[in-house]
Amino acid sequence: MLDVAFAKPTLPKAGALALLIGEGEQASGLWAEADAATGGAVGRALAAARFTGKKGQTATILAPGAGLSRVIAVGIGKRADAKALAYEEAGGQAEAAASGDAVLAIVPGGGAADAAHAALGAVLRGYRFDRYRTKEKAQDKPKLAKVVVNHDEQAAARAAWSDLAAVAEGVFITRDLVSEPANVLNPAEFAKRCEGFEKYGLSVEVLGPKEMKKLGFGALLGVAQGSANEPRFVILEWKGRKGRGKSKPVAFVGKGVTFDTGGISIKPAGGMEEMKWDMGGAGTVAGLMVALAGRKAKVDAVGILGLVENMPSGTAQRPGDVVTSYSGQTIEVLNTDAEGRLVLADALWYCQEKFAPRFMVDLATLTGAIIVALGHEHAGLFSNNDELSQQLTAAGIETGEKVWRMPLGDAYDKMLKSDIADMKNIGGRPGGSITAAQFIQRFVNDTPWAHLDIAGTAWTHKDGAIIPKGASAFGVRLLDRLVANHFEE
Amino acid sequence: MLTVGTVARIEGADATVLPLAEDGAIPDNLRAAADAAGFRGGAGTSCEALTTEGRVVLVGLGAAGDVEGAGSHTASTLSGYARIALDARGLTAERAARFAAACCLRAWRPAAIRKAEDADAPRLAALDILLDGSAEFAGVWTPLEAAVRATLWARDMVTLPANVLTPASFATRLEDIAALGVKLKVLDTRDLRRKGFGALLAVGQGSANPPCLAVLRWRGTIEAPPVAFVGKGITFDTGGIGIKPANRMWEMRADMAGAAAAAGAIMALALRRSPAPAVAVLPLAENATGGASYRPGDVLRTLSGRTVEVVDTDAEGRLVLADAIHHAIARYKPQAVIDLATLTGAIVTALGHHRAGLFDNDAALAAHVAAAGASVGEDVWRMPIADAHREDINSDIADLRNCLTGRMLPDACHAAAFLREFAGDTPWAHLDIAGVESREEADGLMPKGATGFGVRLLDRLVAQRFEGPHRA
Repeated sequence: MLDVAFAKPTLPKAGALALLIGEGEQASGLWAEADAATGGAVGRALAAARFTGKKGQTATILAPGAGLSRVIAVGIGKRADAKALAYEEAGGQAEAAASGDAVLAIVPGGGAADAAHAALGAVLRGYRFDRYRTKEKAQDKPKLAKVVVNHDEQAAARAAWSDLAAVAEGVFITRDLVSEPANVLNPAEFAKRCEGFEKYGLSVEVLGPKEMKKLGFGALLGVAQGSANEPRFVILEWKGRKGRGKSKPVAFVGKGVTFDTGGISIKPAGGMEEMKWDMGGAGTVAGLMVALAGRKAKVDAVGILGLVENMPSGTAQRPGDVVTSYSGQTIEVLNTDAEGRLVLADALWYCQEKFAPRFMVDLATLTGAIIVALGHEHAGLFSNNDELSQQLTAAGIETGEKVWRMPLGDAYDKMLKSDIADMKNIGGRPGGSITAAQFIQRFVNDTPWAHLDIAGTAWTHKDGAIIPKGASAFGVRLLDRLVANHFEE
Repeated sequence: MLTVGTVARIEGADATVLPLAEDGAIPDNLRAAADAAGFRGGAGTSCEALTTEGRVVLVGLGAAGDVEGAGSHTASTLSGYARIALDARGLTAERAARFAAACCLRAWRPAAIRKAEDADAPRLAALDILLDGSAEFAGVWTPLEAAVRATLWARDMVTLPANVLTPASFATRLEDIAALGVKLKVLDTRDLRRKGFGALLAVGQGSANPPCLAVLRWRGTIEAPPVAFVGKGITFDTGGIGIKPANRMWEMRADMAGAAAAAGAIMALALRRSPAPAVAVLPLAENATGGASYRPGDVLRTLSGRTVEVVDTDAEGRLVLADAIHHAIARYKPQAVIDLATLTGAIVTALGHHRAGLFDNDAALAAHVAAAGASVGEDVWRMPIADAHREDINSDIADLRNCLTGRMLPDACHAAAFLREFAGDTPWAHLDIAGVESREEADGLMPKGATGFGVRLLDRLVAQRFEGPHRA
């Protein structure tokens, strides 16, 4: 993670300087100083680049003088309209433009909190998963190691940063987990890494197949039975309300299929490598819990991860098998590739029974249908609770992790009728994400609940302002914000 | 459509329907039968009994007092009787009328193109209504009847096979509606060429049945700009050079359901003499495969002047709509445009067969469309047009491309982003009705087959939004 420091505005003697500029703004402060120190080169270059400060616009001026290696101008749109996300995105763009320098000075303007968000953006964009690159030459690696955010209220900005640093740490944990290949990150290894989260103050409990069998997790175990890698069930708890009286926890549940071949209903080979990130929901829950603990959120929170590998083999479950879920409801498994919902069925039922939470949000890379429905900019939101849905939608707009509500209803639920069991695990192609959500809803027992289908958002195929290509950790910042906005004292 | 009328007493009916609330009092002479059948007035239940006055059928209204549900249940279970009576003395005139409307909607069956009717075919043809407040009945029935009649007209159109219903014969059949005092104007190929309908002409150019554009105009009495309906009218969609798989291709005869619904909505307004001015713009074409067909890679100049690169000739609906939406706005300056189209398979994957997709550039209009749909049982769900969807349809060599190629694409969103470009600043809503224009199984107000989805929604939208003093 980039080193982040805050300082009083001072024109650096070397390195890169990023100016976050609002639409229509005139040079002042460090911008004016830089312009003067470079003999007006900055101003001339920005005019030549037709830089106006429009949101998302960038202009980089190489070696303008005064010892600076480059000056980067990033537009944030109208300053009055720029919210935290605009500063994050501009910070991220600055980081990307400065990766060849060792130190980047950012001049964000705005308030102290905005300065902290600019730092967050730079840090998030600077993420890199390179542990398996053994031969990369030094000159090909990004050099940037430190960001210095220049702001008059440096102390307040630094204070705001401490919570955001914890969120960034959570995001990085998620991105690492999601980026790991499936031969490294199997359920046991995932659980082992979760045990390491005790250092953040989380309590960690791990159930193995024997315990799950005793509890009766028939749906989850059915998915797991084809793999040589045993399943795990991880319960993370954060108690942030110590001494503040009793209240029900908030709960997050993640689908953690460390690799999804589809099982006997095997997937086509093309693109199957992407299925290493079919544990994205669990990865997000893990990172979120670390973020909440790291910033000592004043909330009691539970994170539940159902970890399995879905493999075809002689011991794998077959299309047509009937399994008995932990809830007691029976499921006819007509397609072994609709396995995420089976894992969630037991995890959600366990969650509401054991913790009686205020709400449950589950996250899952669940259906291809949600990509056909919404594309990659919104996750699908399904919920039995309008208030929770509105809170999630608003938090999504604030963090840029947007959700779009999708419908539920009896007509869709009927599509799950089985001839021989309480339900079947698929409802057909039409409305495929909706029937998946209907299936899950049968295991939430009236607890306020939201399901986020993140199949289209857990991984990005091109660089975004604050998300480099690869694992996005979609949901960590969204749900952290949800908690911060509504569920802390 | 059933012949519906009020009667002073029940006479000559094959069966009398008596609607009953859940756990309501059952008449003494029917109690034994009801008990034997376990009938308690639940929704979707009925019980038939023979009495000294003839055959009586108790139909449950359920706890919610659902007269529409009871009406459709009646039509489906008593379809074997030619004439039935409704003993509506326990209902208000308004509820009796809604029962009758539901009964008519469910009793529709496609006009079969057969030499001889099957002996077991449904026979239900008449509904007599016995009502205390029969004087009020006509007042509530007339507007409902208009929407029902227009819906059934649209269903008949959607059912017609493509060798019967060509663009030209579609336009000819619109004379049914012109006869109600609606102005009909048809632009033929020559007119379209002169005016520059480049997209509509390209889609239609592969077919031996040339394209045309039909416009229906209902003037109403309110001095205001009209509301415009635009309906996709592809009388058959082979996919063109980007030909569709053969399996189930026959369903593509219904690819004009949007145009049928838009025309049907005008018909409903005319039948009930709505005060609101409205116009329907119907681009009619057959997307055929042939030596003269347009090709993937072609660049078209649309009526608006925008150029479009054709990536897939099977994404033709958005092309004909582009010209039609532009024409509707440029020519009629409407206060709002609502288009309907069986546009994408993606919307079926997204929402299934129970809701149409709603896209818009105006949240208030979208809310009114959704409310109108909910109030008539034609449910819609609002869907997003994200920035990324708009960026995706940029073309390297033209202003826009009509779609993307590849797997797992949000094509319904792409199509909506495409259409939005042609709506400009006019409040616009787009209903992707693929998946709801026909039903494989009867359900509620919709028998198996064409649904006429959209007619009642638009009729209700006009009534709720464009007729009163609050109108937009």
